[in-house]
Amino acid sequence: MNPKRCAACKYLRRRCPKDCIFSPYFPPSDPDKFACIHRIYGAGNISKMLQQLPVQTRAEAVKSLSFEAKCRVEDPVYGCVGIISLLQTQIQETQTLLAKTQAEIAVAQTKHSQTQISEFM
Amino acid sequence: MGGPGSSPCASCKLLRRRCAKDCIFAPYFPSDDPHKFAIVHKVFGASNVSKMLQELPIHQRADAVNSLVFEANARVRDPVYGCVGAISYLQNQVSQLQMQLAVAQAEILCIQLQHEPTLQSHHQLLELDQGDKALLLHNNNIDNFNSNNNNNNLCYAMSSGQFSSNFAPSSIMQMQMQDPPKQESLWT
Repeated sequence: MNPKRCAACKYLRRRCPKDCIFSPYFPPSDPDKFACIHRIYGAGNISKMLQQLPVQTRAEAVKSLSFEAKCRVEDPVYGCVGIISLLQTQIQETQTLLAKTQAEIAVAQTKHSQTQISEFM
Repeated sequence: MGGPGSSPCASCKLLRRRCAKDCIFAPYFPSDDPHKFAIVHKVFGASNVSKMLQELPIHQRADAVNSLVFEANARVRDPVYGCVGAISYLQNQVSQLQMQLAVAQAEILCIQLQHEPTLQSHHQLLELDQGDKALLLHNNNIDNFNSNNNNNNLCYAMSSGQFSSNFAPSSIMQMQMQDPPKQESLWT
C-alpha cells in the first residue's frame, strides 16, 4: 500500500490513486476530518458533491462540509441549524434594542428643541 | 405507517422497498411530500439518516429531520457553502446591528450629558460605564466639559470610529457550539 495515502483512502482501506478526488483536501495528518465528514455524509456522497463542483471551489466546499459535519456530531438534533437559530434570536434582540434607543434619541432631541425654543422666548 | 394495504412512506417509495410497520422514516417522511426525503437522501444518504435517527430518542427525531431537511436544502441551493453561507450572512448582520446600537447608545449618552446641568465634577464621571469613562477621561479638558464645543467634540469622538468590529468570515469555522434554543421559529 502507498504509505502516502490520503486520510480518506486510509480510512476506507483502499489504494490512493494519483487522481484521488479526496487527497487534496484530506491530508493523512488529519484523519479525524474525514472520519467526521464520512460519518455524516458518507464517502460516496462527498465524492459526488466534489465531482459536481469546479476544482477551484472544492476546498471551500470541504471546509463548509467539515464544519457542518462537526456541528452535527456535537449536536445530533439541530447541527449547525442551532447556530442559525441563535443568530436569528440575537438579530431580533439587537433590532429591538436599537429601535428602543433610537426612539429615546428622538424623544430627547424633541425635548431639547422645545427647551431651546422656550429659552429663546 | 407502512404495511400490507397501506401506502408506503416517501422514503420506501423512493428506495423501492416494502414499508415495514416500524419503518424508521415513515413518521417523518409522509408519502404526500416526496421531495423532503429526496433532498435529504441526495445530501446525506438514506442509511446515514437512518443511523442518525436510530441514535436519537424518539421525541427528538422530528426536530432532527427538520434540521437535516433545512441543511440539505441549503446545500442544494449553495453546493459550496451550504448553511455556512447563511451563518456568515447572519453574523455580518449581527455585527452591523451591534455597531449601529453602539453608535445610538453613544448618541443618547451625549444628549444626556449635554442636558445634565449639574455634571461638573470629575467624580461624577466615574459613575459612567467603563467604556464611556475611558473615552471621556481621555479628554484633558475636563474643566471645560460644560462648554458646548467640547461636548460636541467628545460626542463626535464617541460616536464615530471608536467602535470597530473584528468580525472575520473565516472565524465561523472555529465557532463553538452552544446549547440551541427552541427551534420553532425556523420551521414556521
